Amino acid sequence: MRVRDLTISYGDEPVIEGASLDVDKGRFVSLVGPSGSGKSSLLRAIIGLLKPLAGNVETGLARSEVGILFQDDALLPWRTARDNVALGLGFHGMYRQEALEEAESWLDRLGLAGFGDRFPRHLSGGQRKRVALAQVLALRPKLLLMDEPFASLDAIVRARVVQDLVDLVEREGITVLLVTHDLSEALTLSDAVYLLSQGPRARIMRQYSVPIPRPRDLVSAPTHPAFGPLYERLWRDLFHEVERENPAEAA
Amino acid sequence: MALDPRRAWIRQWLTLAVVLLLWEAAGRANLLNPLFAPSPTQIASALFDLFSSGNIWTHLQATFTAALGGLVLGIVAGIALGVAAALVPFIAELLQPVMTLLNAIPRVILAPLFAIWLGIGIASKVALAFILVAVLIFFTVFTGIRQVDRRLVERIVTIGGDRWALVRHVYLPSVAALIMGHLKVAVGFAFTGAVVGEFVAASRGLGYLISFAQSTYNAALMIALVMLIMAVVLLIFAVSGRLEKYLMRWN
Repeated sequence: MRVRDLTISYGDEPVIEGASLDVDKGRFVSLVGPSGSGKSSLLRAIIGLLKPLAGNVETGLARSEVGILFQDDALLPWRTARDNVALGLGFHGMYRQEALEEAESWLDRLGLAGFGDRFPRHLSGGQRKRVALAQVLALRPKLLLMDEPFASLDAIVRARVVQDLVDLVEREGITVLLVTHDLSEALTLSDAVYLLSQGPRARIMRQYSVPIPRPRDLVSAPTHPAFGPLYERLWRDLFHEVERENPAEAA
Repeated sequence: MALDPRRAWIRQWLTLAVVLLLWEAAGRANLLNPLFAPSPTQIASALFDLFSSGNIWTHLQATFTAALGGLVLGIVAGIALGVAAALVPFIAELLQPVMTLLNAIPRVILAPLFAIWLGIGIASKVALAFILVAVLIFFTVFTGIRQVDRRLVERIVTIGGDRWALVRHVYLPSVAALIMGHLKVAVGFAFTGAVVGEFVAASRGLGYLISFAQSTYNAALMIALVMLIMAVVLLIFAVSGRLEKYLMRWN
């Protein structure tokens, strides 16, 4: 995927101006930046929910091959977990019975066997997140965009869901662009991290390569020798960026 | 002393029984004028006479037909107009001032007008029940569609749903949930319309009987009829409550 000179604006002043980034096939890339730097807007522009003022996005993929996972699970509350997962498959022409069976198998794979008949309200936050993940992954996306999807989960649930996701992404060779404010999460999961500058008029400041080998175990990844120095560098750059724009806030 | 909320119904029924006993005792002691305040046994006797003579059935049928006819037509028209206004700004421009005006006035004042236009038959009662329900449902649907959860809309779009999918999976269920929430009010409105319409000009119906009781100074019959209407509405509340519970089982 190539993003070139992307400018996004909600009013007079652009949120993001001239952002460019590359995500190679099968790579896991994260986008970090201060609050208000337009990270989420960039993802929304890539998937077409937002029309950019200038620039272009080339995914080389059909619209159906790009999936997005938002921070909110946004499941249809009046549909069961199984129906929610089967919904997208139906939109792409799969017969209902087949879609339901496929949905059930994805729920199984994500540790939700036996929960297919439950409505979202009767699932925990972690279970709802897994259903939302199953809904997106069932469509077998080649590119997966994620907007802080795990922010609302507690640490233990989050670790389990993220490890399941990483295993699946590595196995299926899915390309991922993750937006997060969590530097540790970005380095643990990614092959490369992009840092956005403080908005408005945010731009891509720097790219960092993460040399931690795959397959990755999320518990041991932070103990890799490259992790500490990279984390420190990323943190200093981000802090410097926040301080440059908002000296009082950074202090 | 803390009251056990689970035993509230016992306290309520006991209080009612005590009030009825005191009322009956006061009536038998000639402390109340039976012309204005008949005793509970006199009211019960009037109610018994209505059923034992068989006269009540034709009146109940007339009121039920008018109320349910107005309810169904009002819900259908309210949904159709509400959806149209929410989706087509031009229709909203035309409808909103009219509906706001109709909502602002006590709509039962239209009863004499409907009697002139549509005669003293069932049509004028259906029309009054209809207008009461349709305005309520219009605003429920109109504001409901405009406040549909945008995250659900984006979720359906990003997993491949088209406009019809949005209507079927997001808008219609959202509207149905809102209507279910207002169904009890709508039932009350429909019966208000039917009874008031009959009260103004009719030859059948519970409203007509109340008008008759008033003109003959028959307070026992009038209170019996009011209690009968209460019982009928409570019965329909119970049925619509069951329906709501089933259809909203996801909530």
